[in-house]
Amino acid sequence: MGTVSSAKVIAMPSMEQRPEPAKEVAAEATAKASPALPDLPAPALDPIPTTVSLRKVVRGLLAKITRDRFVAALLGGISIAALFLFWYFGTKYQLEFYIRFKNVPTPYEVYQQLTQVGLSNKYLYNIAISVRRILMGFAIAIAIGVPLGLAIGKYRRVSDFFMPVVEILRPIPAIAWVPMSIMLWPNNEASIVFITFIGAFFPILLNTIHGVHSLDGVLIRAGRCLGAGEGRLLWNVILPGSLPHIFTGLAVGMGVAWVSLIAAEMISGQFGVGYFTWEAYSLVNYPAIVLGMITIGVLGLACSGIIRMVGVLMMPWLAFAPGSKR
Amino acid sequence: MTMAMTEPQVDKGFIDVRNIGVTFGANDNKVVAVENASIHVQPGEFVSLIGPSGCGKSTLLSIVAGFQKPTQGEAAVDGKAITKPGSDRGVVFQQYSLFPWLSVRKNVEFGLKMAGVEQSKRNVTARSLLDLAGLLSFENHYPDQLSGGMKQRIGIVRALATSPQVLLMDEPFGALDTQTRVVMQEILTNIWQQFKISVLFITHDIEESIFLSDRIYVMTARPGRIKAEIKVPLPRPRRAEMTDTPEFMNLVQELKGLIREESLAAMAPEIRDRGLSGFGMKVGPKGVGEIF
Repeated sequence: MGTVSSAKVIAMPSMEQRPEPAKEVAAEATAKASPALPDLPAPALDPIPTTVSLRKVVRGLLAKITRDRFVAALLGGISIAALFLFWYFGTKYQLEFYIRFKNVPTPYEVYQQLTQVGLSNKYLYNIAISVRRILMGFAIAIAIGVPLGLAIGKYRRVSDFFMPVVEILRPIPAIAWVPMSIMLWPNNEASIVFITFIGAFFPILLNTIHGVHSLDGVLIRAGRCLGAGEGRLLWNVILPGSLPHIFTGLAVGMGVAWVSLIAAEMISGQFGVGYFTWEAYSLVNYPAIVLGMITIGVLGLACSGIIRMVGVLMMPWLAFAPGSKR
Repeated sequence: MTMAMTEPQVDKGFIDVRNIGVTFGANDNKVVAVENASIHVQPGEFVSLIGPSGCGKSTLLSIVAGFQKPTQGEAAVDGKAITKPGSDRGVVFQQYSLFPWLSVRKNVEFGLKMAGVEQSKRNVTARSLLDLAGLLSFENHYPDQLSGGMKQRIGIVRALATSPQVLLMDEPFGALDTQTRVVMQEILTNIWQQFKISVLFITHDIEESIFLSDRIYVMTARPGRIKAEIKVPLPRPRRAEMTDTPEFMNLVQELKGLIREESLAAMAPEIRDRGLSGFGMKVGPKGVGEIF
């Protein structure tokens, strides 16, 4: 990511806010990023290694603040601030216009709730339990969904066998599985993990299948005439070729997994963030409801952020793919 | 033409395609793509297959590559019947077929990796091949960072990495601009002379086929048959200036005549008639649109 973003800086020198120091930075960045840039001649490397000074680091950081990024950050900040202000004024004046702010806790009350429970073991334990359920359900969904998706995508007979079942089960939302899951699994924990798994499984499976189908046939032919047999073709050509779609499936699957998990925790749960939120409602502890919601939001955001990061690390070539915006 | 098969074979890389017929579909939808086509490529020979589009020249190549089975006839390399794709036959495709997720060097190493060659040896071979292609400094780039000509050069050396006996090329320069094409043709002749490998080259570009080949097969329009076999007596090494010589021009004229007949034959009869009459547009009672 580092080299890529510095390459972007070079690509738009007119965007630099401080053109004078940026030149130096750009020259340094060229030396670092040269393997990534085909059209630049190999830069003459400085024979004397320059020492890293704080000034240069600060300059480098400043050079990355282009106008474009600045505007993006500004707009993002404004929209979040607007949301908070709406919440703040809504609760402060207890607005009532069809929706009612009468019982909604103020931001300060929620903050107080956080400082009260934030360090309590119960709150952290609930988070840990939810994260563990997500990780287990998601990991199982990947372990089954990706290989099965590759097999269904590659072999027509496997597809003929599995797809009817997939098509029947797919439209059933994970939440509808809750009663069945409680009956099916020996304990509560297993049934919640199962529901999380169901939520993540279908997006991962279907995107993997789609990834195999959209793989350019010439790459498979190329792999075969370079001596790849079936197994190696799957591992060395079809899997990496499908990775972009698989990661789309992981991102979507992670979102659905959270939805399913929270619903399952609310209905059948002991512990977990969903349970925490629902329990707060039962105990008429309104600030804790909002705290639970915000916690879910942050956890979901963190999970999709991690997936995106892993995707960037595992698929560095996508930065150069036609139409890439990265 | 089949007499050549009795000649003694010293080197490897003898492509022998006999009485190949290919039909697609069945009964009413039956389409005969190739009919009774026989070609051969001697070890170390550069042979082009030229013909109008849709004449089945790519079908013939994919039979030799092992992607497709003929309905009739047999194809063999060095006496061994072709049953499936293999690294004894390198293939260069018209579309760029580099794996976008592998660096340039890893792409070239791919065939060796599949053959179980250890990493350090793969590395040495790949680097020397990239050096030959003039692309060693790009070894750590990804294919999407390179131009079309560069990608195709890598595609060629990747196919050569496993030391195949024959190289099969399916309009490899078809997607390149004219200037790049000419350069690529010279690079290819250099590589071919260094490797002394048999090449079967598919193209619809007459000048390209003459410039590169020892021998040219001309195919008819569908159903594809071998219409003519033409020897190219131009001396080696070939140079770009040779394209201005009378010998070259005569060959171009000869081939143009052969191809033109077939290109017209491949078109709809109405257009063919107009084409042969020099497109003297005769507008029917319902206007020009009538013919479509």
